[in-house]
Amino acid sequence: MAAWVKGGAADVDAAVEAAVDLLAAARVPVLAGLSADVSALRAAYRLAETLGASLDPVSGPSVYAELGALSAGGVMTTTRAETIGRADVVLVLGNRPWDGDLIGEIAAAAPSRGRAAGAERALLSLGGPQNGAIRHVAYAAEAGGLAVSLGHLRAFAKGHLAGEAAYADLAKRLFAARYGVVVYDPEEVGELGVEMLQGLIRDLNETTRFFALTLADPFQGRAAVQLSAWTTGQAPRVGFGRHQPEHDPWRFDSARQIAAGEADAALWLASLPAPRPAWLGSLPTIAIVGEGSTEAAGETADIVITVGVPGEGVGGALWNERRGVIAYTEPKGPSKTAEALTASGVLARIRDRLIEKGVSC
Amino acid sequence: MSTLRLRGDLPERVDLLNITPLALSGLSEAEAGKLAIGTSRRGLTLGDVFEIRLDGSDSLVIEGGSSRLDRVGAALSEGSIRVEGDAGQRLGEGMAGGALTVTGSAGPYAATGATGGTITIQGDASDHAGGAVYAAKAGLDGATLVIGGKAGDHLGDRMRRGMILAGSAGAFAASRMIAGTILVSGALGDHPGYGMRRGTLIAGSHGALLPTFVETGTPDLVFTRLLAQSLKRLSVPQAGLLGGTLRRYSGDLATLGKGEMFVPA
Repeated sequence: MAAWVKGGAADVDAAVEAAVDLLAAARVPVLAGLSADVSALRAAYRLAETLGASLDPVSGPSVYAELGALSAGGVMTTTRAETIGRADVVLVLGNRPWDGDLIGEIAAAAPSRGRAAGAERALLSLGGPQNGAIRHVAYAAEAGGLAVSLGHLRAFAKGHLAGEAAYADLAKRLFAARYGVVVYDPEEVGELGVEMLQGLIRDLNETTRFFALTLADPFQGRAAVQLSAWTTGQAPRVGFGRHQPEHDPWRFDSARQIAAGEADAALWLASLPAPRPAWLGSLPTIAIVGEGSTEAAGETADIVITVGVPGEGVGGALWNERRGVIAYTEPKGPSKTAEALTASGVLARIRDRLIEKGVSC
Repeated sequence: MSTLRLRGDLPERVDLLNITPLALSGLSEAEAGKLAIGTSRRGLTLGDVFEIRLDGSDSLVIEGGSSRLDRVGAALSEGSIRVEGDAGQRLGEGMAGGALTVTGSAGPYAATGATGGTITIQGDASDHAGGAVYAAKAGLDGATLVIGGKAGDHLGDRMRRGMILAGSAGAFAASRMIAGTILVSGALGDHPGYGMRRGTLIAGSHGALLPTFVETGTPDLVFTRLLAQSLKRLSVPQAGLLGGTLRRYSGDLATLGKGEMFVPA
């Protein structure tokens, strides 16, 4: 276990004490990153409530692209297992879904359950990388991007546009599906595009079955959405400055708050890997990072505390993308030090010390 | 005329919901000074931020502005508020009536959900002016929004009724528009009318057009002449758009497709 205060090695108690002093002096503290297991997220929301801070997960752009459409008109989604078991038509949107093993797994199997059982599986792509390794029918995206392409496709699907265009052919293939699935990454498609796509899926469900399989962000954003919902009743970007959880995705965007000079202290929580924020070093910051990560060094922030990495050095409840649920993940092996600190433990100690000192909002 | 004079730079965003002439009319200056408007853990009161002079009238002037003044005039139902400077996000949110004027620029979501009255921004408006906030059913909802300068992206997003006048606008103007009228004297950015269901968008020029808007000729419509007459009374530059022949585009065909966009032919 390692900790640094102002670049110098320190013991954890001293680092916690310094963190308490830093947060207690702040007017508008923000807790950002939130790439951590569920118990650490819970501890972060509790600390924010005590401190009157706001929270913003690093997965914000992905989470809100999806939540924007969900809050406006609902979404129709399915799971990875249902897609592999039932889908006879799978449309892959954009580049991001091709990165992992998902598309290969979908392409390798045929529908075995439900109304399309025994049929061949048709794999289609729109605006994909066209790498050719997996056999599929590729359609190019419009110059305006995926959102514009989805609007164009939907106009053909609705019968508002007609002709011999490629998208007319694609729309026909989608309507011919018995159980269709669209795979996409919400951040890549964007809020407007996701809403258009969900409209298209509703249109398709007039005559057949069609669903979305959305890729989760890799930074525990889905877990943060659920935890924030059961803790505050709101989506993740909430602030406790006025003693109650206020949800405002614009106001509590941590990058905006810091760029505008509104936030005067930050706590960066990334016990799991997360992209290093550009604002580190621009305001007094505490970093709680995974042991062995590149950020586990004295120069990362004013105060740095390393903790066990959930699913590596310590156990923790994490978002399981394959199952689409929060599930406990065992540690892979013993921690490098005898008694591994957890992020939730460090956050709880900071909160307890703040309460002992009578610092609360 | 009551006045609130800004004492200096704001250390945090403040929320002026409920700071209206009507709300202040029954209060003494000392009582008004105790109203909480801060948003951080420290908190601020109206008296911390402003020098307060109240005379019980239905007009309020805020001398000095800041991009951290949120929800100015949000609960306005009658009377007037004038900000001599900039305003923050959600200017006139849900406003029901009266007149709200900002001499500088306004932050995002100006006039969101406003059902009545006139909101005038003499400078520029940030993104989502007249647009819907997260999870809201509608953006501008019956009020009139006048932007002297530029509007950002997503002008009139999910707007439901009312009218917006602006000098120019960014990308995705009139996105997801449900109904209403938007007139932009200058240029629109790319992809105006994305997901537009109904409503009218009239502009001097536009950026990249969506493939789901189709040209429907240059009709001579009674509606545009009636609109021109009503705008002449307001003496706004947008009235000039309606003088000549207009080319009409219909869209967004990806959705209901009953929206229309006009540009000078």
